[in-house]
Amino acid sequence: MILEIEINNHEFVLHNSGALYWKGQEMLLVSDVHLGKISHFRKHGSALPTQPIFKNFSKLDKLVDHFAPQKICFLGDLFHSSMNREWLLFEQWRNRTALPIVLVAGNHDIVDRKKYEELHIPVVNEWLLDGFLLTHFPEEREGLYTISGHIHPSIVLAGEGRQFLKLPCFFQSPFQIILPAFGEFTGTFAMELRQGDTAYVLTKEEVIAISK
Amino acid sequence: MNREVLFDIAKTWFSGKGWTPHTFQLKTWTAFLQGKHGLLNAPTGSGKTYALWMPVVLDYIKKNPEYKTRHVPGLKAIWVTPLRALSVEIKQAAERVADDLQTGLTVGIRTGDTSATEKNRQKTKMPDLLVTTPESLHLMLATKGYEAVFKDCTAFIVDEWHELLGSKRGVQIELALSRLKTVAPKLRIWGISATIGNLEQAMEVLLGPESEAFQNKELVKAHIEKKIKVISIIPDKMDSYPWRGHMGLHLIDEVAKIIKNSRTTLIFTNVRSQCEIWFQALLEKYPEFAGEMAMHHGSISRETRQWVEQAIRDEQLKAVICTSSLDLGVDFAPVETVIQIGGPKSVARFLQRAGRSGHRPGQESVIYFLATHAIELVEASALKRAVKETVVEDRIPYLNSWDVLVQYLVTLAVSDGFYPSAIYKEVKSTFCYQAMTESQWVWILNFITKGSQSLEAYDEYKKVEIEEDGRFKVNSRSVALRHRMQMGTIVGDAVMSVKFMSGGYIGSIEESFVSKLYPGDVFVFAGRKLELYRTKNMEVLVRKANPSAKAQHASWMGSRMTLSAQMGELIRTELYAANNEKASPELRALKPVFKQQQKESVVPAADEFLIETFKTREGHHILFYPFEGRFVHEALASLIAYRISLLTPITFSLAYNDYGFELLSDKQIAIAELLDNNLFTPEYLHEDLQKSLNATEIARRKFRDIAVIAGLVFAGYPGRIIKTKHLQSGSQLIFEVFRDYEPDNLLLQQAYRETFEHQLEEGRLIMALERIQNQQVVWKQCEKPTPFSFPIITDRLRERLSTETLTERIKKMTASYMKSN
Repeated sequence: MILEIEINNHEFVLHNSGALYWKGQEMLLVSDVHLGKISHFRKHGSALPTQPIFKNFSKLDKLVDHFAPQKICFLGDLFHSSMNREWLLFEQWRNRTALPIVLVAGNHDIVDRKKYEELHIPVVNEWLLDGFLLTHFPEEREGLYTISGHIHPSIVLAGEGRQFLKLPCFFQSPFQIILPAFGEFTGTFAMELRQGDTAYVLTKEEVIAISK
Repeated sequence: MNREVLFDIAKTWFSGKGWTPHTFQLKTWTAFLQGKHGLLNAPTGSGKTYALWMPVVLDYIKKNPEYKTRHVPGLKAIWVTPLRALSVEIKQAAERVADDLQTGLTVGIRTGDTSATEKNRQKTKMPDLLVTTPESLHLMLATKGYEAVFKDCTAFIVDEWHELLGSKRGVQIELALSRLKTVAPKLRIWGISATIGNLEQAMEVLLGPESEAFQNKELVKAHIEKKIKVISIIPDKMDSYPWRGHMGLHLIDEVAKIIKNSRTTLIFTNVRSQCEIWFQALLEKYPEFAGEMAMHHGSISRETRQWVEQAIRDEQLKAVICTSSLDLGVDFAPVETVIQIGGPKSVARFLQRAGRSGHRPGQESVIYFLATHAIELVEASALKRAVKETVVEDRIPYLNSWDVLVQYLVTLAVSDGFYPSAIYKEVKSTFCYQAMTESQWVWILNFITKGSQSLEAYDEYKKVEIEEDGRFKVNSRSVALRHRMQMGTIVGDAVMSVKFMSGGYIGSIEESFVSKLYPGDVFVFAGRKLELYRTKNMEVLVRKANPSAKAQHASWMGSRMTLSAQMGELIRTELYAANNEKASPELRALKPVFKQQQKESVVPAADEFLIETFKTREGHHILFYPFEGRFVHEALASLIAYRISLLTPITFSLAYNDYGFELLSDKQIAIAELLDNNLFTPEYLHEDLQKSLNATEIARRKFRDIAVIAGLVFAGYPGRIIKTKHLQSGSQLIFEVFRDYEPDNLLLQQAYRETFEHQLEEGRLIMALERIQNQQVVWKQCEKPTPFSFPIITDRLRERLSTETLTERIKKMTASYMKSN
């Protein structure tokens, strides 16, 4: 279910839901939840199933139970589009989660920042913490290690008999780690693994490290 | 006015043109005027248009004796054509009758090409006779007040019904008719169909099973004997004939000879890339054809295609290389000769193509068949017999197409709204939905109103609303607009428009092909060498390339055609005949090949099922020859591979073509042991297939179309940019969400059903297995690849190298990572 790794002498836990736990900071990092996406589609007449809406929140609850973090940081694309009633579910979740929460804004986060502030969630463009750069968009910056999202990384595995598997993953290169999309109904982008990269693929049971 | 007087009017008009009515025309007039519904079985160019336009006009005259002085306004007849390119000719034919008889009847066209001004004019004043397409007809049903427009309509004629029958466009016709029967009680329904195997069923589908129309029906057959001459292009020396499939270019000189000796020649290829390659090859070898030769396929811009069609009519062209894009459509009188390159896969298609030549009465149609590899000559021989014995295929109508029903109900909700109890009866009366249960109906209603089967808190699903009096209605203008833009059942591949930088639209190519190109790359498309400048949005900007530049041919994923069941049987019979002496010229020409096959293995007899094994550098090959077509072989290959893998752990690579399939592995397999294990039993077929095949993968592909038709995906129109902010999502993702959260969703289940029924042809598969079970298995251990095996083991290689999915796969293979540890 989890895999522990070390980055620049900091301990991190990779969870197969796609969340990252920073032990030293007691902080849960989650990227690209895309809340409201299914509701957005439904509002425009596309009859997608409603169950995954609730799945997002129950997954978050389980993580909070599991890690008992002191704070949560969302790495962008928390809410998919303009306001819809899924926000009410988000409010309920916020109210039962009595922790400091920060949102590092992503390209999809177009909901008025005041709405987050009402829920005591500050919205920032990036966050520098203990030699790490927390941002939505992947980038490499001198002297910092980047933790980001945005890409929805996955990699393709080839097996015998012309079998292929595409799996979401944490994608780590020497100076940064990109988180998988946490939300249901988000899709992935296949990355190419180079020398020095590691992909931590997510399966239903575990997190598996793969490198070249 | 009695019928005699009416017929005199018609006959006088005919003799004025120097014609006499055919018996089938008289029969159709009589049946129509008697108030009957029916189906006219007549080929293109036989006078079928007048067989039905004439009685429509006569009926008007009968009801309005003062027709010359007093015009009664309102829509009287609808003529549906599958091809909007045909609408002008149909309109002209109708106008000729209407004007010459001084009826004052007006004829209009309503298709995707009709201008907004014209549509507005029709809104205030409908023409008396309307030529339209299934899509435009549904768009009219999506218009407020449509009932008043159709209420006095007395005739509904569907042209080329055989083309629509086996597609979801046919379902659209069934649904539209179920509505119009209520709205226009005086409606007479007629279909026109070329010869197909299931004409009676075609009529039942059109009129509705157990309907009043079906009780009062007539099937009129034209019985026009069209002489068709099939000539195989056989080279003098067979040893130059390639064993494996290719483009057929080794016979280019023979083709050039035929072109030179004929007024106009149509050269049919099976796929667009082959069309491009032949065009280029002919131009290179015979530069004198430049200016007299053109190309026609579905991805070339409509203007160019229309220009080509007109040029054929005006006798400006010696030759046109084309694909199925010219299968249907207007008559081209100057076409003298037709050449078919490669197996046409279906008798009906071959006949249709042959019929494109020799349109003058009494004239013979001539079609040359060019086999691209040796074994394909068997197909030529089989086709000759098919022509003699008039074997034709069935067109299988769709059943329970929920996607089309969802779209139709929203269409009705967009216009005037509907009451479910009334519409349920209408829908249930169609052939497609005759077996629909009430709970399925309720499911569909919930789907369009609630977007799910239960009411959810906080949900904002918006599409169809239920008003207080129980009427189902779309009230949101944006929902209505989006629905109108997305209507239709033809879902195209993701295509990009190719344009010159200086402006000028050339045509469209698939996104997947473009994605492999870099700026500066040169490719051949629409017969020109083009250099990619850049791609932006959905446009590919190009400029003319240096003529000597190295170029690759544009390719299309397009599904490859498969042998029809009838063709498969014909080929088998033909092959068995190779063992006896009374062989056709094609089989005689193939003698060296058969001799080789006999030497290395055997040419199977009727009661034998051949399995060959041999070893090459690639590994251990097992070849099976059911001759059932590519799709059935795809399923059979996975099925057999799966069953073998149950006995021993093994990895196979599968290959298949229209004749047989191959299992390749790195291990030797004990065939004798396998044969004892009831390998070909039809028992547990469905279960084994589901486990073996990547049924999910195929269903995923099928679901794409279903999702678009049912309005789950916002596809938009090519070239038209719609504001769909944050609404883009691949149908793949949608498929997965349904698979994971709503496995009992009817649309998802439909994707699986279509996979098994239409793609894998489960019914044919069972019959094939039953046949094989009754055959004697002949297992030959061969020294090396046999002539029969060659096209299969090489076709696989070619496919890998040439089609995009496989290239993509290979790219992935080289960039793939195995699990460490």
